[in-house]
Amino acid sequence: MISSNRLSKLAVAMCAALPVLASASQTTTVQGLHDNSSSFVALQNATIITEPGKRLENATLVIRNGKVERINENNRVPEGARVIDLTGHTIYPGFIDAYSNYGVPAPKQEQRGPWFSTKPQYNNKREGGNAANDAIHSQQLWVDQAASDSKAAEDYIEQGFTAVQSARLDGIFQGQAVTLSLADKIANDVVYRAQGRHFGSFDKGTSQQQYPNSLMGSIALIRQTLSDANWYEQAYGKAAYNGTVEYNAALAELGPIEQEGMLFKVTDDKSLLRAHAVLSEFDVPVTFVGSNYEYARLDAVKATQAKLVLPLNFPAAPEVAGVNDDLDVELADLRHWERAPGNAAALAAADIDFSFTLHQLQKAGDFWPNLRKAVQHGLDKDTALAALTTIPAQIAGVSDKAGKLAPGYMADFVVAEGDLFTKGTIKSVWLQGAETELAPLRTANFAGTIRASLANQDVQFELKGDERVSGELVMGERSSKLRSVTRDEDTLNFVVDAELAGLSGAWRVQLQQAAEQEFRGVAVGPDGRTLHFSGTRTDGGDSEATAATTAATDVSYVSRLTYPNVAYGLDGLPARQNLHIKNATVWTADEDGVLENTDIIVRDGEFYRIGQDLPTPSGYTVIDASGMHVTPGIIDEHSHIAIDRGVNEGSEAITSEVRIGDVVNPDDVHIYRSLAGGTTMAQLLHGSANPIGGQAQVIKLRWGATADQMKFDAAPPSIKFALGENVKQSRYPSWLSTRYPQTRMGVETLMRDGFTAALEYRERLQAYKKLSRSERAKTAPPRPDYRLQTLLEILDRERFVHAHSYVQSEILMLLRLAEDFNFTLTTFTHILEGYKVASEMAKHGAGGSSFADWWAYKFEVYDAIPHNACLMSEKGVLTSINSDSNDLQRRLNTEAAKSVTYCGMDEHEALKMVTLNPAKQLKVDEYVGSIKAGKHADFVIWNNHPLSSYARVEQTWINARNFFNRERDEQLRAELREEKQALLQKVLADPNASNGDSNGYKREQPAWHCDTEHDTWLGTFTAHSHGGH
Amino acid sequence: MKKLITAVAAATVSLSVAAHDIVPGEPQQQPILLQNGTLHTVSHGVQANTDLLFVDGKITAIGVDLAVPANAQVLDVAGKHVYPGVIALDTTIGLREIESVRATEDADEAGVITPEVSGHVAYNPDSEVIPTIRYNGVSHAQIVPQGELITGRSSLLQLDGWTYEDAGERLNVGVHVNWPRVGINTAWWERRSPAEQRKANAEARKQLERTFIDAKAYYDAKQAGELNGTDLRWEAMLGLFDGSSTLFVHADDQRQIEEAIELTREWGFDWVLMGARDAWRMADQLAAENVRVVYGAPFGLPTRHDEAYDQAFSTPAALAQAGVNFAISYPGYWDVRNLPFAAGNAVAYGLDREQALAAITLKPAEFLGVADRLGSLEEGKQATILISDGDLLDPIGQKIEQLFIEGRLVDLNNRHLQLYNKYKQKP
Repeated sequence: MISSNRLSKLAVAMCAALPVLASASQTTTVQGLHDNSSSFVALQNATIITEPGKRLENATLVIRNGKVERINENNRVPEGARVIDLTGHTIYPGFIDAYSNYGVPAPKQEQRGPWFSTKPQYNNKREGGNAANDAIHSQQLWVDQAASDSKAAEDYIEQGFTAVQSARLDGIFQGQAVTLSLADKIANDVVYRAQGRHFGSFDKGTSQQQYPNSLMGSIALIRQTLSDANWYEQAYGKAAYNGTVEYNAALAELGPIEQEGMLFKVTDDKSLLRAHAVLSEFDVPVTFVGSNYEYARLDAVKATQAKLVLPLNFPAAPEVAGVNDDLDVELADLRHWERAPGNAAALAAADIDFSFTLHQLQKAGDFWPNLRKAVQHGLDKDTALAALTTIPAQIAGVSDKAGKLAPGYMADFVVAEGDLFTKGTIKSVWLQGAETELAPLRTANFAGTIRASLANQDVQFELKGDERVSGELVMGERSSKLRSVTRDEDTLNFVVDAELAGLSGAWRVQLQQAAEQEFRGVAVGPDGRTLHFSGTRTDGGDSEATAATTAATDVSYVSRLTYPNVAYGLDGLPARQNLHIKNATVWTADEDGVLENTDIIVRDGEFYRIGQDLPTPSGYTVIDASGMHVTPGIIDEHSHIAIDRGVNEGSEAITSEVRIGDVVNPDDVHIYRSLAGGTTMAQLLHGSANPIGGQAQVIKLRWGATADQMKFDAAPPSIKFALGENVKQSRYPSWLSTRYPQTRMGVETLMRDGFTAALEYRERLQAYKKLSRSERAKTAPPRPDYRLQTLLEILDRERFVHAHSYVQSEILMLLRLAEDFNFTLTTFTHILEGYKVASEMAKHGAGGSSFADWWAYKFEVYDAIPHNACLMSEKGVLTSINSDSNDLQRRLNTEAAKSVTYCGMDEHEALKMVTLNPAKQLKVDEYVGSIKAGKHADFVIWNNHPLSSYARVEQTWINARNFFNRERDEQLRAELREEKQALLQKVLADPNASNGDSNGYKREQPAWHCDTEHDTWLGTFTAHSHGGH
Repeated sequence: MKKLITAVAAATVSLSVAAHDIVPGEPQQQPILLQNGTLHTVSHGVQANTDLLFVDGKITAIGVDLAVPANAQVLDVAGKHVYPGVIALDTTIGLREIESVRATEDADEAGVITPEVSGHVAYNPDSEVIPTIRYNGVSHAQIVPQGELITGRSSLLQLDGWTYEDAGERLNVGVHVNWPRVGINTAWWERRSPAEQRKANAEARKQLERTFIDAKAYYDAKQAGELNGTDLRWEAMLGLFDGSSTLFVHADDQRQIEEAIELTREWGFDWVLMGARDAWRMADQLAAENVRVVYGAPFGLPTRHDEAYDQAFSTPAALAQAGVNFAISYPGYWDVRNLPFAAGNAVAYGLDREQALAAITLKPAEFLGVADRLGSLEEGKQATILISDGDLLDPIGQKIEQLFIEGRLVDLNNRHLQLYNKYKQKP
C-alpha cells in the first residue's frame, strides 16, 4: 500500500514524464517529425466491469486511437497490440464528475470592505449584450474558454475521474457548461460535449449589484429572467413602445434552456424544492447538486423526479469532549452528523438517481474514504458505481461516449486492485487510451514468515507491514531486530546484527519477491563477502487490499428522523380527530360572546356544534375541559418567523415581484414555539426596507408539514408596503443614501409612479392584443413584468396591501393615494399613530394592526400610546394586535389584554383583536377566527382566563389536528435529552468524529425583524438596529 | 424634557409638545389612613380588610380598624389591592429617550473598563418615559450604565424627582461587569473559528482578572499612602475591597456563571448575579452558594434551540424550588413598565404568586441594601405604596389608582394619557 500522500507525488511525476501521446488533432501543423506511436493496446486477464452490474472475468480490453475497440470475453489478444497483463486487477469505466469548474477561468474576486464602506451599486455596467443583472452569465459558453489544466486534473485523476462537466461556478445563471476529458491535451481534443447544461444557483456570487440580496430575490430574478428569455425569442428585432428591442446575448442563450436543462446547486433540502418549483414553472429540466440533507424530506425530493449530484463532504462532528461543550451543540446537527453519510443510501432506496462529485470536499483525498463510508451506510456498490459512471454520463450528456466500456466508447477507464468500494487501490487511470500510472501494477509483498538458508544456517525473517516494513531475523532461540529498513516496489533492504557463518557484525541484506511465496536475496557479511540465498514464505502474505476488505457494516442510527428533522419535530402530521370538548368556557370571538359550561363538537376538521350538555357521537374523542377556556386559534397579522435567508429584498425601492411564499421555512422551531403560545395562523410579511416590498404569505402553523403544505391557499394574495424611517434609510450614513426616496414626500411620488407605470403597462398589453397579425410581425410584445403585474393585482383589488406605517402624515398620504388609484388600503400594520387619524381610516375602510404598547425605540414612534387600539376601535377601525416578533408571537393573548389594562376595552373584544379581527384583515374570516359551526377547528385550550398573566396553553389544534399538547411536550423533552445523550456518546466513541467538513451544517438564521437588512449572499448586514421595527 | 427637545430639534426636526406639567409630589402633609384594603405586605403575607396608616412618609401602623388620627386623610380602599412600590432592577431609564436617535442616548461610555461612570449622573428626571413607567406601579429603578467589560456604577433612584439628587435613594450601589463571553458561537454571522473564539474569550477573561488585580493594588497602595496620584477608575472600585460596594455580574451562560462564582469567591466580593438565563441549569449550586440572582429574562425565547419553549418563563419557578435567593428584572427602559406582568407570567409557569411579587419588591430592595426602608409594607418602612383596583401582576387586573413614594402622592399622568386624552377629542 502506498499512502495517498505518496500517490499524489507519484502522479505528478507520471504526468510530467508521460510524452504527449500522438495528438489526435487534425488541424495542428506538425513541427519536426510526425509522431506515429502505436496506441493499440490489449489489457489482458482482467476483470472488466463494463457498466454497473455487468462483470466479465478474465477478459481482454482492446483499445486503439483513444477508444475502446472491443472487449474480448474469451480473453484473446489481437495481433500487434501491446499486451498488459492485468491478472488480479479490475477495470472500471472512467468516472465522470458532472459538476466541476475544471479547465475554466476562475471569477475575479472583488474585495469588499466592511459594512457601509462601499456605495451601493444598483445598476450594472452593460457590455457585450450582457444581462441587466451581474449575477446572470447565461451568455457564457464555457467551451470558449476551456483549456486543459494538468495540475487541476490531478485531484480528479487520482480518484479515478476521467471526465468532468465544467463551468465557472459563479452567480445565478452561470452559463453553459462544457464536458471535458481530463486528458492533458489541447482543448480541441478533450471536448466531449461543447454545450452542456446551464449551471445555476441561488447565490449571486461575485456580483456587486445590490439586487438580489435575499433568497426570495434570487428566485424572483430567475423567474423574471426565464420569462424574459421567452419574451426575447418573440421580441428581438421588433419595435417596442420605447424603441427597438435591445440585443441581449444572455437572454438569447437562455432561449433553448427547456431542451438544454440546468444543473442547479442547492444548499439544503428546502432550497431544492424551491428551485424545482421555480424552474418547473418554465419547464426547465433540472438536476440538482445536492446537500446530503435530502434524506430529511425524501418524499418531497422524490416527487420532483429530478436526478441529483451529491457532494461527499460529510460534516465533522461538533466538538463535545469538554464538560460543557454540549451547551453549544444542537440536536439537529448531531443528527445530521450521524445520518449525512447515509443520504446516498436513502436516495438509492427511494429510487432516486444520483451521481457523486468531488465538489465541496475540503481535500480530494477524502473522496474514497467518504464514498466507502456511504457504502458502509448501506449504499449498494452497483449504485455507487453508477453514480460515478452511467448517471453522471447522462447528466453531462455524454452517455454515447463515456460512462461505460463498450466498442466505440472513449478509452477512459480505471485499473484497480481489490474492490474499490470497500478497500481497493487505483493503480492507473487511462484517459483517451493513455495511461496515468498512480501505483505500480504489482508491488512485492514481504509480510509473513520467510524461511531461508543463509550461510548453511536455517533462518527466518519475521516481517510485517506493507508500505513500512519492520521485523526481525530469527535464528533458533536468538533473534535480532532489522534496522534501516527501506523498500521500493520490488526490493527490501535492511541491516541486521547477527552472527552467521561465524561472522558477527552488521549484515546488509536485500530481498526480492520471485513468486507469490518465493523470495531471493543477497546478504553482505561483515567481511564484505556476498552471499546469495533464496527463501520461501511459510506463513502470512495475504495482501492487505484483498484481506482487509471491510464489509458493509450494518449501520444503526441512534437519532430519530422527524418532520422537521430538528428538536421537537414530529413523526408526521398529527391525525385529524373528531372531538367532543366538554364543559369549557368558550370564547367564541363571535356574536355569541363567552359561553360558560359549553360543549363543542368537532367533525371532519370543522366546528360542528356548540352548545350545552351535548351527547357524544360514537367514536369521538372526548376532551374534558372543565375549568378550562377554549378560544379560537390566535392569528398574527405581522410575523417574520419561518422565513429562510432574508426577510427583506431591500435592495431596490419597489420589489413587488419577490414572494415570501417562495422562502417559507418549515424547519423553524419558532413555528412550534408559537403553537405553544396558541398561535395557529400567521401572515409572513416581507420586511420594511422599501416602500413597496414583497408579496406576503399566510400560513397555518402546521409543524411537521412541508413549506407548501403550510401555506393557507384560501387566503387571498397580499403584499407589504412600508413608509417612514426604514424606507427612507434614516439610519444610513448620508453619503450612502443615494436611493430614491429619502423623504416621506418621495415615498408618495415613488408609489404614484409605480402605479402609473403599472396602468400604462396594462394599456400596452391590451393594445398589443388588438394588433393585426402583420402589425405583430413588426411589434414586440410587451415584456411581461412581474413587478408591475403585482401592482396591477393591487389596483384590481385581487391583492391586498398591509402597510408598515407609524406617523399620521404618512397614513393619510397612503389613504389618499389609494383613493386616487381607486383601491382600498386593507391594513396599516404597526400604525402607532393610527389613533390620530382613526376617523379618516375608518371612513376609507382601512384596518389597523398595532403593537400593544411599544414606543420610544425610534423617533417615529415617540407619539405611540398603548391606547391606540382602543381609540382606533372606538372610531370604527377594524383593529388587531400583531407581534412582529418571534417572542411576542407566542403571547399575543396578554398583548391584547393591554387594551383592557390601559383603556378598559371589553375582554371579549380584546380577544377578537388576535382572532376574528386579524382573520378579517387577512380576508379569511369565513374559515377561521372564531368558534362557529362550519369554521375550521383551529382552537386553543387554556388553563385559565385567556387574557390573564396566569394563562398557559394546554393544547393547540389546527383543522382538528393536535399540533401542540403540553403533556406531549414534556415527553418530547425527555426523549430529546435521551437522544442527545446517545448521540453525544456516539460522537465520543468515534475516533474519527472530528474528520469531515467543519462547515457541514445548516447555518442558524438571524431572528428577522422588519428592518433587518441583510445581504444573505455576502453575509453582511447593511442596517439593523436593536428594538427597531 | 427641555434638554431632550433641544437635542432632538438639533438632530432632526422640531417637535412640538407642550412642556409637561407633571410635577413631583409634595412631601406628605397629613397622616393618611388606608382603610379596609387587601394588603400585599410581601413580608407578612396578604392581609385582607386591613388598614394602613402612614405619616411623614413612613408607615406607622398596619392593622384592623386602626384609629383615625387627628387631621388624617382617610382613603377607603375596600376591594382594592395595596402593594409596596415595584423596584425595577437593571434598567437604563433616564439614560435613553429614543433608542435610535443617538443624541438622546447617554448609556454607553467609550472604553472597555469604565467603572468611574455613574448611572445617576446622566439621568434625565424629565424623560417622557419615566411617568409611563410609574403608571404601572414602578416606584424605583436601578440605573445601570451599559458598555463593554466593566460598564460603570449603578444607582437606585425613586422615579418622581426634580433632579437626580432628590431622586437618589442610594447612589453608586455597585460596579457592573459584563462577564466575558464563553463557549463557541455557531451563528451564521460568526466568522471566527472556534480556536479564534476561544482565544478571544480567554483574553477578555484575562483582562478582567488584570483589572481586579490593578484595582486591588491601587486599593492597597492607597491604604499605605503610596499612591502616585488619583486614578478615577480604581477609586470607583475601592468599595469592592472593603465591602461597601457590590459587584453586579451580568452573566447568562452556565460557564460564565461558574467562572463568576469562582472568581468572586477568590476575591471575596459582595456580589449579585444579573441576567442568569442559565441559572436553572445550576439552581442547586446557586442555592448552596447563597448567590443572589436577578433573573433578567422573564419574557423571552429559549436561549438555545433545543431548550423547552417555556424555559425562560419557567426558570423563576425552578429557582424558587431549589431555594435560590432571586429577584426578577426586565432590563430596558420604555418596556420596564411590563415588569409586573413579567412576574405574573412566571406564575403561569409554576412560580408562587407571593414569591413573584417579592421578586419585584422586597428582593430587589434587599439586593440593593435598602430593605430597611423599601420593598414591603411594614411599620417603619417608607410609605412607598401603590393602590390598584385589581391584581398588579395581571393585565386584566392591574389598574393603579394611586402611587405614593415616601408618602408623596405621585401624579400618574404621562405623555400617553395626555395624547390619549387629546385625541379622544378629535372629531
